[in-house]
Amino acid sequence: MNEQQPGNTIEAALDLPIRYIDRSRAYYLALGYDNPYRWAHNVDVPFASLTKPLTQSRVALITTAAPLKPDAGDQGPWAPYNASAKFTEVYSMPIEPPPDLRISHLGYDRKHTSAEDINTYFPLERIKKAAAEGRIGELNSRFYGVPTLRSQRLTTERDAPQILELCREDAIDAAILVPT
Amino acid sequence: MSLTARYLEAHGIPTVVMGCARDIVEHAGVARFLFSDFPLGNSCGKPGDLASQRGLVAMALDLLETANAPRTTVQSPYRWAEDTSWKDDFYRLDLTPEQKAKAREEFDSQKAVLKAKLDSSHE
Repeated sequence: MNEQQPGNTIEAALDLPIRYIDRSRAYYLALGYDNPYRWAHNVDVPFASLTKPLTQSRVALITTAAPLKPDAGDQGPWAPYNASAKFTEVYSMPIEPPPDLRISHLGYDRKHTSAEDINTYFPLERIKKAAAEGRIGELNSRFYGVPTLRSQRLTTERDAPQILELCREDAIDAAILVPT
Repeated sequence: MSLTARYLEAHGIPTVVMGCARDIVEHAGVARFLFSDFPLGNSCGKPGDLASQRGLVAMALDLLETANAPRTTVQSPYRWAEDTSWKDDFYRLDLTPEQKAKAREEFDSQKAVLKAKLDSSHE
């Protein structure tokens, strides 16, 4: 196997973005599952504008990455998918000292992604630099983590309201969200 | 994560999502999206590459400021590789029956781990 030539998928041949919804459906159907995941779909999209210049705004960083759990198995670079490393509740942590966050609990491209450079999925140091240069007012002193539990109901009814509450406690003006 | 961004927007907090899965994020519908055509896991730049990591954060911040309507997607100019063959490899369908059985076993066992975690966290 694995003798498929480059260009066999339409995305590789035409340099299109990968159609993950189509591909994951086809993949899980091919494995014999008959109830493929239904990704969230919305027609209307809410929009909020900045209420003050970005250079005076307090910005929060929000991630799906997980704090390293020493007892939860391999979470290092090239780790296989590791559901034991998942977290199940919203969390917040200070940005100092810089946290050791990992993504072994997420479904990323394990052939082409080593996950050895935290800056590829958690841009804390890069945003700190932008703040130091005055591009934003400040980076919030803590960041927030959102669990990924294959439940849109948990996300919208439980987790997102908790993130909003944290944002309000910290008087957040804008947020950068990084899914993996 | 798109759902969380939508919730914040609906409650007055502007957001920008940095991601690599264009169809999934746009299907959910977010206010501002910085799309990188990179393998999943590299939403914020290429490993060891300060230029793309700094550049993407700068673009995300610009997007916070400049977007004036929802569903504003900006595609980053950075390329993962000149060769696009990496796009063939995720969720490959050309699996042998043995590979399928192994993938299924792995998926079921990871799903059971997650279910056990969720059950114990709700006790």
